[in-house]
Amino acid sequence: MVVPLLFALLQSSCCTGNPEPDPQTGKIAFTFEHTVNGFPVDYDTMIYQNEAGNPYLVDNIQYFVSDFKLWQKGNYQLLDGWEDIHYVDTDIPGTWQYKPADDIDSGTYDSITFVFGITGEKNKSFMFVNPPESYMFWPEYLGGGYHYLKLNGKWKDPQQVVRPFNFHLGIGQQYNDDGEITGFIQNWFTVNLPGSAILVSTGATTQVTIVMNVEQWFKEPNVWDFNHWGGDIMENQEAMHTAVENGHNVFTIKTE
Amino acid sequence: MKKQGLILLFVLGAFVFLFYGCPGNSVPEPYRPTPYTIDIPKGFPTKLNIPADNPMTVEGVELGRYLFYDGRLSGRTDPDSLMSCATCHLQENAFEAGINNPRFPGGFVYGIHGDTTHHVMLPMINLVWNFSGYGWNGFIYNDNPDADFRNIEDMVRAAVMARDEIDGDTNRIKQLFRQLPGYPELFAKAFGTDQIEFTHIEKAIAQFVRTLISANSKFDRYLRGEVQLDQAELHGYVLFTTEQGADCFHCHGGAGNPLFTTSLFYNNGKDTVFTDAADRYAVTGKESDRGAYKATTLRNIEFQAPYMHDGRFKTLEEVIDFYSEGLKNSPYVNPLMHHVAEGGVRLTPQEKDDLISFIKTLRDDEFLVNPQFSKPDKFPDQK
Repeated sequence: MVVPLLFALLQSSCCTGNPEPDPQTGKIAFTFEHTVNGFPVDYDTMIYQNEAGNPYLVDNIQYFVSDFKLWQKGNYQLLDGWEDIHYVDTDIPGTWQYKPADDIDSGTYDSITFVFGITGEKNKSFMFVNPPESYMFWPEYLGGGYHYLKLNGKWKDPQQVVRPFNFHLGIGQQYNDDGEITGFIQNWFTVNLPGSAILVSTGATTQVTIVMNVEQWFKEPNVWDFNHWGGDIMENQEAMHTAVENGHNVFTIKTE
Repeated sequence: MKKQGLILLFVLGAFVFLFYGCPGNSVPEPYRPTPYTIDIPKGFPTKLNIPADNPMTVEGVELGRYLFYDGRLSGRTDPDSLMSCATCHLQENAFEAGINNPRFPGGFVYGIHGDTTHHVMLPMINLVWNFSGYGWNGFIYNDNPDADFRNIEDMVRAAVMARDEIDGDTNRIKQLFRQLPGYPELFAKAFGTDQIEFTHIEKAIAQFVRTLISANSKFDRYLRGEVQLDQAELHGYVLFTTEQGADCFHCHGGAGNPLFTTSLFYNNGKDTVFTDAADRYAVTGKESDRGAYKATTLRNIEFQAPYMHDGRFKTLEEVIDFYSEGLKNSPYVNPLMHHVAEGGVRLTPQEKDDLISFIKTLRDDEFLVNPQFSKPDKFPDQK
């Protein structure tokens, strides 16, 4: 009589419940790569030339991506809901991967989309208190929230003077004739990745690589000339809008 | 019979397992000092840089405060040979020496033998939130392959042993403190042993240093809605946080980064030739880090003169003039110095005044006189 009781006791103390039937789900993992025209960025080396003919170098890139959606027949699954704002920093290898916690129904998905930056609904000052995300804060005076992008580097002007550029994106401003700020403009945008059909298999993790081609920020549809726009654009909505138009084609995708 | 014996053996085994599986009745409780909780100010980071092997305790912090101020930390007792952290790190100067220090003219500190330190001092403010390395070039950092140079504890030991600082002998120091009445009891309370080792000393001091928190400046109170900034201060803050203004915030923080530093390393355009063997390049080996040094916190910056790693500027006004008109371009200047080709951010005299007005709102008087950070009235052996 004692033995079955002991068995029952031991059993109940080490197991947490009856096994559930295996769900038909898998996982997805994103890796972020940064290239210039197909080759990994060679940082801090003045070896690139943009479409406008400006020689340039890249020092580092920091940005937020969010609202990853997997599309299937016109419907989508939003990954990780409000938690899915992911920070990428070329100086911090630990940020080059993003593994959403959500289980994903297995099957074939037509495409992936994500938001470059953070939507206005979510992009609120003080929501990140820990570095490195907190270092991305966008001053309240300029609209608040966080930088979408810091792309820092240098270019060589026609006089061969090497000048720094801070290609930074975030909330833009409207100014009146006196230079006073009268309103703010959301500059985040949705990235549609063509040819991003993926298969999520039960019990497996689908690896997806998202590639940023830095040169594309300066190429299409707008040719970006540093000699025209200068080295800082946080207070220049026209410049940020121009950059955002180019940003739609900056990313491509590689799957296993 | 054999089967019954096996069952009996199993039952006995199960009882033994259940009994000894429970937290021991017979095992004595290990000594546990009182946990010290750091109250995180609103808006400050929640991640604290506290090593797993040195948790903060009330007793550890108390002991650390004594040791921080006790000149016998040099391992010597002759009045002329006393030296502690507080010999150079003065609370009234944000735990720097201060430019008007009577012992260290111009704020240039030197060690027990009179050797000037390689760089000028850095303040001890909010270091519990620093994950980017300690020292002007960050040579002590958490994931350093050299386990002897990873955290504040190691910084303490390095300072105690450095010839241009305390030049102490860790064996002699621990022997001395073992003999000082009152100290063994405090070590026992903090670490559960009165057998003092130097690791206990560095751990206690590090715990105390991690309590040195500044979060009650005028600007903090402004953010909490308790006071208003005046027009000059507000205009200065706009300049501080705009690229077309002074653009300080990318390196020195702001409301969204209330540490008022990223604690990262930048070549800020001071020079065109770089010969210092202890710049950031010495740590990383990255060419772009030549001439780069840590961005200091601007909290209580008015007490941190002389400024820059080599103390080349005596006043805040000189620093602002440098960023306004004195920048020098070089292949190594950080891209965040985006006005470098124009020599700087080109502020008007009024803008410079307003910027300094704002920066002075980061003065935290409470930090400078907080009795919890101050020298104890008496050391343990004097009670």
